[in-house]
Amino acid sequence: MRTIFKDVALEVVKAIAPITIAIVILQFAFIRMPILLFVKFLIGVLLVMLGMWLFLLGVKIGILPMGEAIGSELPKRGALPYIIAIAFLIGFAVTVAEPDVIVLSHQVDIVSDSSISHILLISVIAIGVGFFVAMAMVRIVFGFPMAYLLAAGYAIILVLSFFTPPQFVPVAFDSGGVTTGPVAVPVILALGIGFSSVLAGKSPLSDGFGLIGLASIGPVIGVMVMGVILY
Amino acid sequence: MNGLNVFEGLGHTFLTVFISLIPLVILFLVFQFLYLKLPMKHVLNLFKGIALALLGIAIFLQGVRVGFFPVGREMGEMLGAVSHKWILIPLGFLLGFLATFGEPAVRVLSDQIERTSIGSIRKSVVLYTISFGVALFVALGMARIIYGIPLMYIVVPGYILAMALLWPSDKTTICIAFDAGGVATGPMAVTFLLAITVGIASAMEGRDPVTDGFGLIALIALAPILSIMILGIIVHIKLRRKEV
Repeated sequence: MRTIFKDVALEVVKAIAPITIAIVILQFAFIRMPILLFVKFLIGVLLVMLGMWLFLLGVKIGILPMGEAIGSELPKRGALPYIIAIAFLIGFAVTVAEPDVIVLSHQVDIVSDSSISHILLISVIAIGVGFFVAMAMVRIVFGFPMAYLLAAGYAIILVLSFFTPPQFVPVAFDSGGVTTGPVAVPVILALGIGFSSVLAGKSPLSDGFGLIGLASIGPVIGVMVMGVILY
Repeated sequence: MNGLNVFEGLGHTFLTVFISLIPLVILFLVFQFLYLKLPMKHVLNLFKGIALALLGIAIFLQGVRVGFFPVGREMGEMLGAVSHKWILIPLGFLLGFLATFGEPAVRVLSDQIERTSIGSIRKSVVLYTISFGVALFVALGMARIIYGIPLMYIVVPGYILAMALLWPSDKTTICIAFDAGGVATGPMAVTFLLAITVGIASAMEGRDPVTDGFGLIALIALAPILSIMILGIIVHIKLRRKEV
């Protein structure tokens, strides 16, 4: 336990020190922002370091083992529809509450002149994520290549982008980016690794990854389809 | 700017993160009582971890918001006004690299890759490859803003290249590459790099902060997909040479 605290602390310093040093050098070399702003920045750096330290510790001690426990229990409960339902539920639930998704829905409100409610957009994004996380689990079970799923997903996006009202295109891509935030990533990652680690003939390395990549496609398609239907 | 109230809004951040973890916890509890039945001490440890992560991410987001965001905005506005615009390109490369290097989700992914590959794929390799890819594409994004290149001229060829690279890549590399595309667009990159770009775009005439800002996120999501797949192909060729 002691060593993990120290290791993670060391990692956080290595992660945050470079960008901090770069900004401090830039500040003195030619940016010269107001001193109050600079002090705020330094306090921000301390908060970021403290926060990242606690977060990475918590991910290692809590989130990853919890996600893996659920993931590795799923195949033992057999039936595919059950696995699909749970995977969908996890993808949906993690996304509904992701802080960035909530921020994005406000932006969309502006783009659409309030014709799209927050609840509608958040639901569409979450259904997109849930659907693709479930697809990713089905993929692991049947072992069909990730390349096909990805190629199909991006082909659908490409085709949809011709029919989607132009103001929805940026929002659609943006929603793909924001869904995989710091809360969703460890949960979905652990789910895939836990799940594939107990399935016979699967290895977590070659089968367990890819859920996040697929999860980011879902909302793009979801929002584009919504744009096509609404306009 | 109202003084040093760096804790404003922390409660709200804490609440949203707290809510976002509830579904996982409920699902775990259901599984715990029905099937898992892990020892109580173990469960308590897991919950301690969840609490730490919760507290950590709230403090992290707060730090990004009070520290990195305003500085990014300020830097962007000053940089948008410099006379030698080309300097933004190397600067974009540097800041793109360093911001990704400090992104928590990128760390979690690299860590998990090293763990599940039992050390055969080193964490630092993944970390540097993702950061390098993002650096290159942020530099491209800067060039795009300076010279007014349409976003589609970079994104469409980029995704076509990504699709083409699917064929020579092995399945592990593909999965990792697309996961990396998802994790790179985390709070550090999106908040800090976006603030700089929006600042630059608003300081330059004829640039729309919203469109140019969006463009950056699309580029950051694309970058690691390409860099990881290219790394995978290079490693593959090297391994084959060794065998021969």
